[in-house]
Amino acid sequence: MRWNRPARLLGCLLAVFILTVCLRTPAAPQITTAPSSPATTSVAPESQTPVPPPTAPTPVILIDAAHGGTESGAVLGPDNLEKDVTLAFARRLRQDLISRGLQAQLVRDSDTLLSADQRASIANQSRPSLYICVHATSEGSGIRIYSAMLPSDTDNRGPFVGWETAQASSLLRSRSLQQQLTASIQKTRFPIRSLTAPVRPLNNIVVPALAIEIAPATGQVSQLATADYQQMISAILANAIAGIRNKLESRQ
Amino acid sequence: MIPRNLAVTFALLCSLTLGMSLYLWELHRRDATSGPRNVVPQHVTTPTSGPTEKVTVIVARDDTGELHPQSISIPALDNRQQRAEEILRQLLNIYQQKGSQHPLTASAEIRDVYLTDPNTAVIDMNSALPDGQTSGILAEELTLVSVIQTLSLNVPNLAKVKLLVDGKERETLAGHIDLSGVYDVGEVSQLAQQMSAP
Repeated sequence: MRWNRPARLLGCLLAVFILTVCLRTPAAPQITTAPSSPATTSVAPESQTPVPPPTAPTPVILIDAAHGGTESGAVLGPDNLEKDVTLAFARRLRQDLISRGLQAQLVRDSDTLLSADQRASIANQSRPSLYICVHATSEGSGIRIYSAMLPSDTDNRGPFVGWETAQASSLLRSRSLQQQLTASIQKTRFPIRSLTAPVRPLNNIVVPALAIEIAPATGQVSQLATADYQQMISAILANAIAGIRNKLESRQ
Repeated sequence: MIPRNLAVTFALLCSLTLGMSLYLWELHRRDATSGPRNVVPQHVTTPTSGPTEKVTVIVARDDTGELHPQSISIPALDNRQQRAEEILRQLLNIYQQKGSQHPLTASAEIRDVYLTDPNTAVIDMNSALPDGQTSGILAEELTLVSVIQTLSLNVPNLAKVKLLVDGKERETLAGHIDLSGVYDVGEVSQLAQQMSAP
């Protein structure tokens, strides 16, 4: 079939337009990308201004209060939902970390519903030094720290990281931090347990990521909602995190 | 004046409609008298007498957050799939007994276990099991590891396990533990070791 001249011209214009759009479209925010290499060198400016002595950037801890909105999590009592306990605790932990000289941010600071994928996207975009997902339970006692449990066959190829196994590149660091935090909390004689768990969104996060689950110390579930108990656990955790401050990489 | 052929056709159609209505009414009556059709199919009960075998199941305890091996007797079954189902039903039975250290609701049930190639098991549970499960990372993890580890101990060369609820995929067990993927038995065995009583 022969094309007439105007049709050919229109086709060329369309091809040029599509090419231009393709080249200018930024990467989709949902796609997990491998963390950029810390060894990337920045080019020094030509001017000879005195360079200030390098100071270690403050590590950033991203605290994620699990559940929220219509997804209330475990029912810990008649008026005590997991989503409320985790939010209250996350706010305390943020304050305690800031008072110890660390940067701390919350994924949610209100009763909002976020999917696991949305939480992971927020964490992957903000690139904190450590992501901590906070849960609460009526079973057992003390604090539990979990690192991700990933399938053995990761589908990470080159710079492309599979969404379900995005944590693979940081898993060793996550587990190392988990061990150090556990050892630090053990010194306080507060009940602590360290495990791996298939809990989302840990496996979707490219930076070191842990989940913590707080339980009542006395077996009374109502204790979880009390300010004193939350404050005590928050202080223990914040001390432990501040204690490994030099092991946390700063924001890249 | 209506032509004769049209009148005959109309009369035929009317009688056909009446006949079909009567037939439909009869079918409906028969359906109503034959009892409810949506009865949940009952699983074939395993024989209570006859040869038995000893198997080991992995039982969870909420108070310590640990797993313990326990030896139980089940009817000896030749069919691998039926045997796997029976073992998991006996495990659930332990959790449903009064005073259980990891209580599950009485209506919790393993609907089916499919042993497929290559070395993959698909466990289909009813929704009463996750709905009646205590919500929490450790509580849910104990159930998951107990079920998968029990199956892997009793089904040789099992490599992967997928869990379904009422025949469908479910995001989490009870709000925490991920059910969307396929579990690697080796990984779960390592986790079971971490959770085992010293």
